Amino acid sequence: MLRDETTAANIRACAAGRHLDEIHTERWLAMLTPSRLALLEIAERLNLRTGQLAAAIDLLDEIEIRAGASPAQTLAREEIRRACAGAGSTPWRAAAFIEALRRIRFPELQAAIDLAAEIAALKRPAGVSVVLPKDLGSDELTIRIGARTPTELENALDALAEKKPGLVRIVKMIGGDDQ
Amino acid sequence: MKFDLDDLYIEDACRETALARRVIARATAPIHFVEDGRAAARPRADAADSFAAGKRRMVIMRRRSPFLMACPAGSAQFACCGYLVLTLASNCPMDCSYCFLQEYVADNPAFQIYANYDAAFEELERLRASAPARHFRVGTGELADSLAMDSLTGLSIDLVNFFAARENLTLELKTKTDEIENLLALDPRGRVMVSWTLSPRRVFEACEHRTASPSARIGAGRRVLDAGYRVAFHLDPMLAYPEAERDYIDLMDELFSTIAPAKISFISMGGLRMTTGLRAAARRRFPKDAMLLGEEVLADDGRYRTFAPMRIRLYKILADKFKAAGGEVPSYLCMETASVHERVFGAPASHPSIAGERLAIR
Repeated sequence: MLRDETTAANIRACAAGRHLDEIHTERWLAMLTPSRLALLEIAERLNLRTGQLAAAIDLLDEIEIRAGASPAQTLAREEIRRACAGAGSTPWRAAAFIEALRRIRFPELQAAIDLAAEIAALKRPAGVSVVLPKDLGSDELTIRIGARTPTELENALDALAEKKPGLVRIVKMIGGDDQ
Repeated sequence: MKFDLDDLYIEDACRETALARRVIARATAPIHFVEDGRAAARPRADAADSFAAGKRRMVIMRRRSPFLMACPAGSAQFACCGYLVLTLASNCPMDCSYCFLQEYVADNPAFQIYANYDAAFEELERLRASAPARHFRVGTGELADSLAMDSLTGLSIDLVNFFAARENLTLELKTKTDEIENLLALDPRGRVMVSWTLSPRRVFEACEHRTASPSARIGAGRRVLDAGYRVAFHLDPMLAYPEAERDYIDLMDELFSTIAPAKISFISMGGLRMTTGLRAAARRRFPKDAMLLGEEVLADDGRYRTFAPMRIRLYKILADKFKAAGGEVPSYLCMETASVHERVFGAPASHPSIAGERLAIR
């Protein structure tokens, strides 16, 4: 392990190179040595951009307050290691790293964000759009049907009926069950 | 509970009022007479936390705007309980990390008490005269705790006596204290309700600084009930942390074992909701409060709210608990949409005037 003052100098250099603001830099430096070292290693390996580094510091801080896990403990979790070591370009892995941190910080919310992928998987018929509430801020799912002819409308309704289980699942995820 | 004050400011025009005389006789803080109380209420530039400093500075002054208003939380967007607010004071000596006052009174954070409250009674008389067949529920606990400073101000005595003599008005005194001594000596004649905001012990310990413990609040509820008051409880804000469901159920078990459900006028529920400004202020003042770090989303009304399925689940569990309690405890949601209300209770929300009247006479 590097000596503390060396770590601090390296963190300052890394932060300065990315124009990280003073508040985030100080919060990084305030972490205990294993934590700040672990983040430094990932920041350099994944070449985190300014916003990503600030987001990582915020998320690690909030996870520590919520769950009592130090940044070093969080960064040692399997899903974080997997994101950092996965296949793909360095920017892709950097994005996957932040995404993995968000999943730890917002577990239920992130599950719902996965809805976007579910909606894509629904293979909606032409003329039908499924619109999630903005920022998942309400429990209302909007389904729009656009049709110019009776046949188009009938086809859209039939196709939509086939998608009923998937749509109901989405509504449950954003607003909860009726039961 | 007694709260210390650093300073007491009294507006010259209020010097001879009954309120000022009572407070002067009981206060131990240094007293300053000022021409305009509004200046004394403003934030102090030299205070590291001007909001917290304001809580320790009482200003007795005239209110220059109406005392009575519709609840500011009410909106056509939400199901609404038809509550009317009587603003006799502003700010609160307690310091809850989630409190909306951190933003709402940031520009005048001193603990203000309005000495010309005779005018409030005149407004109430006009309200009664305007609709003699209706029944109104009026509360003093929106911008201040109704009882926190009562040992100093004695305001509750005038209030209870006024409401006790008026058939179609119900007073709601909302508090997080167990400051009920003045009340116990009065006869409310069934027209005064005392309500407590209740939270599980875990929330109390993390967020509700300088308040009475949940058990002390419930115990105080039992005492005022025995003294002839109606009682109600507000589970608001409800916080959806990992152990929340168990904790809120345990809290209700403690409540119902002390006060029979049939004796409770109502229990309201509301989720944590924060504007962007409030969220920033709260996190700045309480950076280590885990309860402020839930899973929130920015809702349609511009407030951060707990992700809908999480808060609806909590509401439903408690709504079921109220039903199972045997007394059919009336309940409503604060600042939630009609659709959420319907999903939780299985019925549409009542019109605010009907809800207000029902809660007033229960």
